[in-house]
Amino acid sequence: MKARNVDDGERPQHSSGGVSRHSAYRSFIRLWSRLSGFERAVLVVFVLVLIIAAIGPFVAPYPPTFADPLQRLAPPSITHPFGTDENGIDVLSRLIAAPRTDVLIAVIATTLSLAVGAPLGVVAGYFEGADRRAMRWISEGTLRLLDVIQAFPVFILAMVLVAIRGTGPINVVFAVAFVNFPVFLRLVRSEILSLRERPYAEAAVALGNSELGVGFKHLLPNAWSTVLVQVSVTIGFAVLLTAGLSFVGAGVSPPTPELGAMIASGAKFMTIGQWWVAMFPGLLLGLIVFTFAVMGDIVGKLMEPGQGAILPRHLLSNDRIAPAAQAEAAIPSRQDAVLSVRGLTIGAYGRPPILDGVSFDLMPGEILGVVGLPGSGKSILVRAIVRLLGHGLQRRAGHVLFRGKDLAELDEEALRAIRGYEILPLLPNAKSQLNPLVRVGDLMVAHIRAHDRCSRREAHARAAKMLGAIGIGDAKHWLAAYPHELSGGMAQRVCLAIALVHRPPLIIADEPTAGLDVTVQRQALDLMIELCRQSGAAQVLATRELGIVAQYCDRVVVLHEGLIVETGAVRDVLLAPRHAITHRLIAAADLRAISAAGITNTFPKIVR
Amino acid sequence: MRMLTYICRRFLVLIPQLFLISIITFTLVRMLPGDPARLELGPLAPEEGVELLRHQLRLDQPLPQQYIAYLQRLIQGDLGRSWVNSSSVAQDLLVRAPATLELITAGMLIVLVVIVPIALVSASPSRGWLARTTRRISFGYGLLAGALPDFWLGLVLIFVFFSVLGWAPGPEGRLAILDLPPERVTGFYVVDTLLAGNFDTLRSALSHLALPAITLAFVYGGPIFKMVRASMEAALRSDYTVYAEGLGLPRRTVLLWAMRNAAPPAVVVTGVVAGYLLGGAVLIEAVFNLNGIGQYAVQSITTADYAPIQGFVLVAAVFTMMVYLVVDLLQFMIDPRVSARAS
Repeated sequence: MKARNVDDGERPQHSSGGVSRHSAYRSFIRLWSRLSGFERAVLVVFVLVLIIAAIGPFVAPYPPTFADPLQRLAPPSITHPFGTDENGIDVLSRLIAAPRTDVLIAVIATTLSLAVGAPLGVVAGYFEGADRRAMRWISEGTLRLLDVIQAFPVFILAMVLVAIRGTGPINVVFAVAFVNFPVFLRLVRSEILSLRERPYAEAAVALGNSELGVGFKHLLPNAWSTVLVQVSVTIGFAVLLTAGLSFVGAGVSPPTPELGAMIASGAKFMTIGQWWVAMFPGLLLGLIVFTFAVMGDIVGKLMEPGQGAILPRHLLSNDRIAPAAQAEAAIPSRQDAVLSVRGLTIGAYGRPPILDGVSFDLMPGEILGVVGLPGSGKSILVRAIVRLLGHGLQRRAGHVLFRGKDLAELDEEALRAIRGYEILPLLPNAKSQLNPLVRVGDLMVAHIRAHDRCSRREAHARAAKMLGAIGIGDAKHWLAAYPHELSGGMAQRVCLAIALVHRPPLIIADEPTAGLDVTVQRQALDLMIELCRQSGAAQVLATRELGIVAQYCDRVVVLHEGLIVETGAVRDVLLAPRHAITHRLIAAADLRAISAAGITNTFPKIVR
Repeated sequence: MRMLTYICRRFLVLIPQLFLISIITFTLVRMLPGDPARLELGPLAPEEGVELLRHQLRLDQPLPQQYIAYLQRLIQGDLGRSWVNSSSVAQDLLVRAPATLELITAGMLIVLVVIVPIALVSASPSRGWLARTTRRISFGYGLLAGALPDFWLGLVLIFVFFSVLGWAPGPEGRLAILDLPPERVTGFYVVDTLLAGNFDTLRSALSHLALPAITLAFVYGGPIFKMVRASMEAALRSDYTVYAEGLGLPRRTVLLWAMRNAAPPAVVVTGVVAGYLLGGAVLIEAVFNLNGIGQYAVQSITTADYAPIQGFVLVAAVFTMMVYLVVDLLQFMIDPRVSARAS
């Protein structure tokens, strides 16, 4: 029982020492399993680089500074696999000994820039949000100063610093650290700025801690994962910088084995064909920088909680939801239907389907409500009709028949002619549907001209007329506007105008009023339904609000986990729900809204 | 009108920045051990000359006066003299600047013509052979671009294309040794030979520019490539692209509009990289012996010639600030949201 206390009762049968070693091993395995094959390879190389950097000079086959005048510039052979340099030193031995210099300088320099940059970043981030104006000015001034420091060429700045203090590893460390510290200052500052908005930071301040103390004690630890990624990338960059400095003779100078200096000594032989002296150090340099850069990504990935925790293969063995009722899929579609969906099954590769054998018919002018809980597949159903699914989702089975043509089988060009002309989408958050860099008028004109042969001017006039028809005055002004100048309601009406301009037989709407202010939602819906009825368009209307279905729709389909669990005329389904989900939806619906709006003629009984 | 006020405001920011740059370059030389006048004239200069310069630089007066003297010299375009070849630093930089600018321009052109299109195509989720090939290329390039040292890559290209294949000239500078440089109009050999109608020299200039420009494009195109790809991917996945497809707009329009959205971040990164390159391409210049201002600075450091270093650092920093200015203005022009926020 004692052991249980030590290890949170996870493995009571082991002694505490054994448990911690065992769980360390297990957590390593867990981390390892989250990596891809490529990342594992990089991790192995990274560990190798660290080992070589640590013990390199002691394991080299030849002494890395031992010159053999008889063996000058020998090409690669069995005794010297990577050849020898101009002094007759074995290149392989120098290669094994060299990373120690570069990596050590880079690691120390990066640590130094972090040690200076991170605290300054905390202070800058803290000052920036401070109440006192003087503090904000100091923070602002620091940033502008950094702007200017960073305008200086990094490499020359480092060179000048080395020139001022003289060559040698220690001065290289200082130079590399100096040019890199602004990176950490900026990073930590921006992290602190975003973290200080978090509730726990506010709570810590409210408890009477000083803000600066909270910055160091509570916020800095939370910024570590981001900072660590940057540390890894910066070490790689610092290795490159160190090698570059040594390459021009302003860094570590021979005979200390160092990669940049090795490349420099081989440079003049490269042009006359003796490539091995400079080639191998460069490759090794690239490998080191590369592993540090990728290690940054790996560390970031591992430190992000839950990332990659659920793999597809774990899901595959999960128990699937009940098999689809395929019966309806077999029923032939009705002759006069605008749209008939048969057995549509959509899913991502290797996962349970999101839509499972969905079938329904839609008559001309009919409005079909699609309701369900969030995540039931409503949006996917609407989008799947015109194949607007995101990357990764595919149709696995089923057909979408629109006026006798199977949309699921059409080629891109034929589909394009139907999309936007005969079937129009109305999607949620109208404002985000409009490209922020395209004027409203340009979108409408492009849409009109994509399907009707007409001049730009005619299309423009039609667009203006259409905006007028749905009650937008001053069409000229709005056509010249960019989306960011529109309110949400205005954007929704623009989308509505776009949807109706070709008088399409079918509109597919997915929560068309989501993202609108509650006060204008109903108004927008009224307008939409009225205009659809006028133009005789049939509609598929996905929504989670039963109130909307009750008020506007003729028939309803209830979706749950990708299956149609109930379907029928709105009145029948709402008055005599058979499925538990329908009960739940009705219970959650705002029935007062249903009764308040004048639906008494279509729905006399529900008011009772 | 909006544009004009924005430009004015942006220029107002530039003035304190330029002051800061001058203060930093000023202190850079003050940080050196020893007497600045002696440093500028070199160890061989006679004591009287040093005394005279010391007086000119007002070294006998307090620091603020010295700084004002420095500023006065700057405004007159006087960056001091190199003691190694006793020429005016401003003149030296002016003569060498075209070589560097030519290299940067050629490199950035390769980035825009080759690397950016690959990034754009590889961002598309389509399963065609073109998209698949570019995705494979972009994976490999993304891995290599940031990791390979530019000076080493230049050497490898020289080895492969000069020593082994013999397709390109060796690192002998901007022209073959026997070529006569064209009459100086702009200083850009490519432009000057075209103006003079001298196509043999033009070919020589281009072939000497090819390898360094490719090196530069490969190494420094990496961040641009990644940003273009990432922002294009985001634009293609966005709601507005799905909606545009849902409206049946022509594929070309959909892609062009997505590219419009990918442009602002790409412009920013391109600007940052271009601004960095004046000082960043130093090693490429040295490897290919292009004799631009970067190589000049490196030589000056090895000979402890401080006036050229001070001059170069100043010019590079001002260049970077100017590029940032251009980026901000471009940003203002292509993104209506920025202009809305700015005014």
